Amino acid sequence: MSDLWILSPVLLTLGVGIFLLVWSFAEHILAAKAFRPAEPAAGSKPEKEAGLKTVHGLAVGTLLAAAVLTLGAAWSGDRSVTLFYLMKDIPIYFHIDDISRWFVTVVTVIWVLVGIYSTVYMQHEGEEKRFFGFYLLVYGVLVCLDFSGNLVTMYLFYELMTLASFPLVLHNGSREAIMAALKYLFYSLCGAYMGLFGIYFLYRYCSSLTFMPGGTLSPEAVSGQAGILPVAVLLMLIGFGAKAGMFPLHAWLPTAHPVAPSPASAALSGIIVKSGVLAIIRVVYYIVGPDFLRGTWVQYTWMALTLVTVFMGSLLAYREPVLKKRLAYSTVSQVSYILFGLAVLSPAGFTGALLHVAFHAVVKCGLFLTAGIFLFCCGKTRVDQLAGIGRRMPAVLWCYTLFALALIGIPPTSGFVSKWYLAQGALHADIGVWSYVGPAVLLVSALLTAGYLLPITMKGFFPGQEESSGSAEDTEQKQRVQADTAGAAKRQEPKAAMLVPLLILAALALGMGLLPGVFTDFAGGIAALVI
Amino acid sequence: MDFIRNFSFFSIVLSLFSGPLSSILGRKWAKRVNTAEIILLGLMSVAVLWYVLQTGEAFVYTMGHFPAPWGNEIRAGVLEAFMAAFFCLIMLLCMWGGVRERESEIEASKQNLYYIMVNLLLCSLLALIYTNDLFTAYVFVEINTISACGLIMIRQNGRTIEAATRYMIMSLLGSGLLLLGLCFLYDLTGHLLMSNIQEAVHALVANGQYQTPLLVSISLMCVGLAIKSALFPFHTWLPDAYGYSTVSSAAILSSLVSKGYIFLLVKIFYRVIGFDIISSSKVIHVLFAFGIAGMIVGSVDAIRENDIRRMIAYSSVAQIGYIYMGFGLGTTAGVIASIYHVVCHAATKSLLFIAASGITDVSGGSRHFEDLTGAGYRNKLAGVAFTVGSLSMVGVPMFAGFISKLYFAQAAVGHTVKMLPTLIALAISTILNAVYFMKTVIRLYTPVKDGEKKAGYGTITVRQQPVKAVALILFILLNVILGLNAEPVIGLIRTGLEMFS
Amino acid sequence: MDFGNLFHNYAEAVAMILFGIGFSNLLLQKNLMKKIIGLNIMDTATYLFLALKGYIDGRKAPVVVDGIQSMEAYVNPIPSGLVLTGIVVSVSVTALMLSLTIRLYRRYHTLDLDEISTLLKKEDK
Repeated sequence: MSDLWILSPVLLTLGVGIFLLVWSFAEHILAAKAFRPAEPAAGSKPEKEAGLKTVHGLAVGTLLAAAVLTLGAAWSGDRSVTLFYLMKDIPIYFHIDDISRWFVTVVTVIWVLVGIYSTVYMQHEGEEKRFFGFYLLVYGVLVCLDFSGNLVTMYLFYELMTLASFPLVLHNGSREAIMAALKYLFYSLCGAYMGLFGIYFLYRYCSSLTFMPGGTLSPEAVSGQAGILPVAVLLMLIGFGAKAGMFPLHAWLPTAHPVAPSPASAALSGIIVKSGVLAIIRVVYYIVGPDFLRGTWVQYTWMALTLVTVFMGSLLAYREPVLKKRLAYSTVSQVSYILFGLAVLSPAGFTGALLHVAFHAVVKCGLFLTAGIFLFCCGKTRVDQLAGIGRRMPAVLWCYTLFALALIGIPPTSGFVSKWYLAQGALHADIGVWSYVGPAVLLVSALLTAGYLLPITMKGFFPGQEESSGSAEDTEQKQRVQADTAGAAKRQEPKAAMLVPLLILAALALGMGLLPGVFTDFAGGIAALVI
Repeated sequence: MDFIRNFSFFSIVLSLFSGPLSSILGRKWAKRVNTAEIILLGLMSVAVLWYVLQTGEAFVYTMGHFPAPWGNEIRAGVLEAFMAAFFCLIMLLCMWGGVRERESEIEASKQNLYYIMVNLLLCSLLALIYTNDLFTAYVFVEINTISACGLIMIRQNGRTIEAATRYMIMSLLGSGLLLLGLCFLYDLTGHLLMSNIQEAVHALVANGQYQTPLLVSISLMCVGLAIKSALFPFHTWLPDAYGYSTVSSAAILSSLVSKGYIFLLVKIFYRVIGFDIISSSKVIHVLFAFGIAGMIVGSVDAIRENDIRRMIAYSSVAQIGYIYMGFGLGTTAGVIASIYHVVCHAATKSLLFIAASGITDVSGGSRHFEDLTGAGYRNKLAGVAFTVGSLSMVGVPMFAGFISKLYFAQAAVGHTVKMLPTLIALAISTILNAVYFMKTVIRLYTPVKDGEKKAGYGTITVRQQPVKAVALILFILLNVILGLNAEPVIGLIRTGLEMFS
Repeated sequence: MDFGNLFHNYAEAVAMILFGIGFSNLLLQKNLMKKIIGLNIMDTATYLFLALKGYIDGRKAPVVVDGIQSMEAYVNPIPSGLVLTGIVVSVSVTALMLSLTIRLYRRYHTLDLDEISTLLKKEDK
């Protein structure tokens, strides 16, 4: 039990998170305010300033400390902790392996950067104590999720993550946000139940529910009774795929992500959806084992679902006028790239998927933060309002452009590396016609990605003169655009606390593409282990 | 510490005699005495539990010191003592949670009667738990029915009287069958004490004598108790009885009364007949089939229901189906899962009833689904409590319901034939549960549009109802504790079942 | 099937038939009074069965008279005790049922349970 300290970051974030929540709750009771946060009253701001500084300091300090502890725990070797027994032979068991390391590092980097960004951004959303409270809670749960060493522990924290993250979605308390949050909750629960159903079955067919590279399926239990097992596995894939936005349970994602405050959307799109990916990796590669699925109808169905999602997500994103919603659809599509890489069940595909997990987290998080800056500084949500934005905040738009290039997969950005591996994996895998269809769909989707992301850059830097049509609305809009353009004449970059995380993310997106060796080696090492 | 041996007997007698006491006291004092008595009984049961765990074996208390074949006995083991303590805890919380409704919905002159009924009910429950004599069990089953009927009809309106009548009729059918089964068994074995019957039954089975009458007797008792605990298809009385009575009655009925019968059934399985004989008989297949049917039908009915209280009541039908399904598996693992489900259902369902009453209070007293919009904001604690209860019923990890489903699944997995039906039924019923409970939670947290505001949409804060708030918070804690750390409870159940034989 | 056995135990057979009659009355009759009568028939049938089990041909009720202490002189007293207890239970249950019936009748002026249900549904609307 000497390794118990690896849970210290969890304890720390949970403790501080709960403290902030209690603080926020106590304030509500004392002030007898309505649950719905009133519009931040301008007059009361100065007096609250001091308290807010404490909150920010506390939250960021906790995050940094927890990050150091987490990374320390993750990179200090394979450690495991058995906390207590949930049932007779099922402990709450944590074990750090390479997958845990990979995911937890991604989570930590993103979480800290977004946390710093939020200290400024959340000022216009209000209710910061509650936000940071839940933000820290989710971090603690995510670390537990990544460290989980068996299926039931993972499931436990998977559900907890849903419950802890859904207050982030409904943060502003509007009707729309609440309905979106409830939709998120409902989809996640339904998905998780399909997963749970599979877990019931795996009890019988597996020698243990502890994660083992290559799977723990026991052959003597499977033989003769395997008819139902593939169905159960497919249900688990679809169920856990709900979190990852995989068709057919993807519909919550474009609803929930845009209504959340931008840092929360960044965290949701960058990290939370990846926990669905983690769950699928654990199930397929660590419990069921890729050999069981290879060549079965389950693999083909899964692959078809991911490809449908890839294409559909891109198409919907292309047609979507609201920037954050467009990014959410883009997440639907991009995460299914990862799932496709997992579905081909080849080492290269797996490597590509793992790389894309990290790259997409960085890139999508950066994109949402950019969208948040547009919203925060100029109140712009729709794509067509963004014309000329580049003159006002060129640095931000340059970052955006870099992220866009990375998401499309243009060398030398990071996205290229992962997509290269994905395509390689598909081409060299023994999956019949799919090894050509897959890369083709990925390519078309990449073109669509360029089509929905790059126009913003172009319009942003070169707004041009829009042709005036007759209607009054257009004229009004044109006037506004002109006014903006006029106002944007002088540069007005956002505060450093918002800009610096963005720059770091941009540097990461580029840097990981320039020096991919370390990452591909690490991911390749895991791939060699499990397949 | 041997005087603790007397506690189980004293707790029955104490609850019997505090009934008359509360009839002569004033209303306030009757309430206080009642609370004190339940707490005292709970503490005594805990003491018994502690004593039994210390000595490591069950003890028998002979009433009036008449020896075994003639005298009447009380027997306390780990499971009995745990159940008694747990029932006292739930009873206490139910009484606290419904205190305000009780005082407004029941005529002032009849409130003392309520405490008498509660005392009588608790007495009969404790007797059902502790008794070692089958005929005594029958008598207390009837007392239980009568007091439960009183609890239903004490809130006087047409609905409750009709519900009480229907409840009585079904219960009497059940107890008639139970009594006949007992008579058969007495005829076959010549004994009424459970341990003696078991010896005789084993001798009969070993000699191959009287197999058909034995089977008839077992099935009569099973069917009788199944009717009384509202197993599908005998559940028709349940929604009205739970739906229209005052809230603490509904909570007590759903979480304790039916559970008392189920516990008696477990005792019959293990102490009277012997579980090896039960599990090789065909009766359990019938229980299994009806349990699964109940799981599905109860949930479907709950989805179609428009009244929140009746919805929760129908959900009880589904949960009782779970319990019988566990019995039907015919393994000790299944029975352990069922008993754990008894515990967690008691903790959850009473929470739901009490939270639902808090929700209807802020919705103009209406229980219709459309009127509950946004009630989670008007009564925050009740909203949170209802959400916790729903999540537990649906089976979200961290709450009690998840663990019991996990145990059911684990118990089913060891079974070759019944594995698939059980798992599929679990999955379907979980999704159905999610549909109606999440539907309600979503409704509770859907903000009200300005045009839709209705009269009676007041707000209730924690400070206005401190007692209820304490009860709800304790219930929430209980659910979380049962959900996070179930192993000690399971351990108690396991040792208790081992002590049974 | 050995029907001779059935004939030999004709009293038990009668008890079972009575039980069936009472049970089906309690279950199927619409009229509350008839239901209660059914309940009583059912209970009585059980007591008949119990009493038969305790009865031994040619012996007396277990009350010590004339100083005869021998066990062989009396029937088994336990079933008689059970019957007495059962009667007490049955009386109290019947009383409760009757009081419920009276209340329902005062409210709805009918003894038909289904009719009461329809009336209740109308009341709700």
